[in-house]
Amino acid sequence: METVAKKSSTIKEFIRSIPINKIGVKDLLNFEKSPLNLFLAALTLVFLGLFVVGVLFYLLHGHHAYNVTREHPWGLLIAVYIFFVVSSTGLCIVGSLGDVFGFKDYMAISKRAIFGSIVTIVAGFVVIAFEIGHPITMMIYNVLTPGLTSAIWWMGTLYGLYLTFMIIEFVFLLKNDMKSAKTFGLIGLLVGLAAHSNLGGVFGFLNARTISNGVFYPTYFILTAFITGVFIAYIMMGFRYKLSFPKEIQTMLGGLAKIQALLISILIFFVTWKFLTDVYGGMPNRAEVAEHILGSWTFWAEVILAMLIPLTIILASKASAYKAIFFASLSGMVGIFFMRYNLVHDTQLKPLQEMKIREYQLPPEWIHYFPSATEIMISLGGLGLCLALYYVGTKLFSLDTEH
Amino acid sequence: MANYVMVLDYKNCINCKACEIACKEENGVLLGADKHRIWVGSNNPKGEWPKLDIASAAFLPSQCQQCENAPCQDVCPTNATYYDENGVVQVDSDKCILCSYCMVACPYDARYVDDRTVTVDKCTFCSDTRLARGEVTTACQNTCPTKVRTFGDIDDPDSEVSELLRTREHFSLKSNLGTKPKLFYLT
Ligand code: SF4
Ligand code: SF4
Repeated sequence: METVAKKSSTIKEFIRSIPINKIGVKDLLNFEKSPLNLFLAALTLVFLGLFVVGVLFYLLHGHHAYNVTREHPWGLLIAVYIFFVVSSTGLCIVGSLGDVFGFKDYMAISKRAIFGSIVTIVAGFVVIAFEIGHPITMMIYNVLTPGLTSAIWWMGTLYGLYLTFMIIEFVFLLKNDMKSAKTFGLIGLLVGLAAHSNLGGVFGFLNARTISNGVFYPTYFILTAFITGVFIAYIMMGFRYKLSFPKEIQTMLGGLAKIQALLISILIFFVTWKFLTDVYGGMPNRAEVAEHILGSWTFWAEVILAMLIPLTIILASKASAYKAIFFASLSGMVGIFFMRYNLVHDTQLKPLQEMKIREYQLPPEWIHYFPSATEIMISLGGLGLCLALYYVGTKLFSLDTEH
Repeated sequence: MANYVMVLDYKNCINCKACEIACKEENGVLLGADKHRIWVGSNNPKGEWPKLDIASAAFLPSQCQQCENAPCQDVCPTNATYYDENGVVQVDSDKCILCSYCMVACPYDARYVDDRTVTVDKCTFCSDTRLARGEVTTACQNTCPTKVRTFGDIDDPDSEVSELLRTREHFSLKSNLGTKPKLFYLT
């Protein structure tokens, strides 16, 4: 009995010793009322409002409120979930540069990035909870009858663990216990990478969907996660320092930009070869899908916004036009969204029922999908949630690393 | 413990779609074109009148292939999709979380969402209805006017399906994917 009481008191003591700023509603409303800040605050509130409306529609109509169908069962919410967890994994990688791998230059963003990775994955979980038909059943049977051959099982379970490790790491970062933060950061990073490549595996395992099948997505997911992390790092720093960066932050941003240029170049190389093999490999069901993708504007949105614009700006400025790279990172994130959307949609482009099964119709050629208003509202809500949580976090915790 | 398969003499199919109706009736499948466990596929005939290519317009009745190596089962995170003791691939609606992974993974588009349980549903070879009542035929087989379908236990060498598969050439759909389908089409 006594030891239990002792243990619980040490735990309480530990929790009490986490440095958290005491804040009230007043502090939350206390921000510089610049037009940009007011606009962002209003936008966040609108997104949260849309989220509530979207969720209401979902509760009333279930999946009928979405435009998902038998042939296209995965819609926008899956893409948005991927978008958030990619962001989370990416921020975890960026955050680890400093506190796990000990690159001093990147220390300045560790805390912020790790906090960002928690916020984004929470937003991702919230969004997916409205896509999975029975999230509570999932938690129960994930444990009782685990499907060990299922990439979704591994992905979900590992991401759950990952969130736990990220929180522990963040707590140690707050307490300035760098040694423990490093240990948990490393475990969290490894679990996160495993989880994230499993998410790629969710698509890679589909042997009936030749466009996605294979090793490409599991590896590509890690690469694009890192890229996403760097984009968000730039955006966070841009807002934190209102685009006038102190010297040591400039050093970090310069380094990140150089890494980013390398990563995007590798990505372009990967994607080029994927399409070359897809199209000229001539594999049935793959070649024609790849050609269809090359003719879609969403693919070019991905290429231009996430690859060409950021890479050009970084290269043209020799990785030193930090402000321009900040704006390129915003463009990059829009591109990354399209990247996720395309991945989900393109996987399902080709109908697997290729015959005509109803009279007065032609056999299906391509599966069409456009998100419903409810799907869009819940997705924007996820973004709103992310912004709101991040803002509250900046007030609650001191996210800057002291020198 | 049987190992159920279905053999289809598909060239006899006249696309009357009686099997689709019988399945809905027997298994209480909800109305709606998307809600179907089984279907009859066709193609528009190729070529120009009068040299129409009749062969290109053959009808192909189909449904869940009850794959022996089922992608839908592999991907199910909660093992809601399982093989029952007769080798039939089934969904336990208590465990299904409607992640829809199986719908994406099934190469035959054989799965859909049942709006009552809000879980995934598919052909069960009438396991819960006719077979549970002790009958030995499926609804689609029973109703077919041209006797396209034969259902039975392939592990029993004396069954009609075993006899048909021994004596007639046959193929299965998308067998290159390694799913080992249990629907066999007689040529
Ligand atoms: S046809 Fe589809 S639903 Fe049926 S067992 Fe095979 S993969 Fe599963
Ligand atoms: S939708 Fe249901 S049956 Fe299909 S994979 Fe998910 S949990 Fe399994």
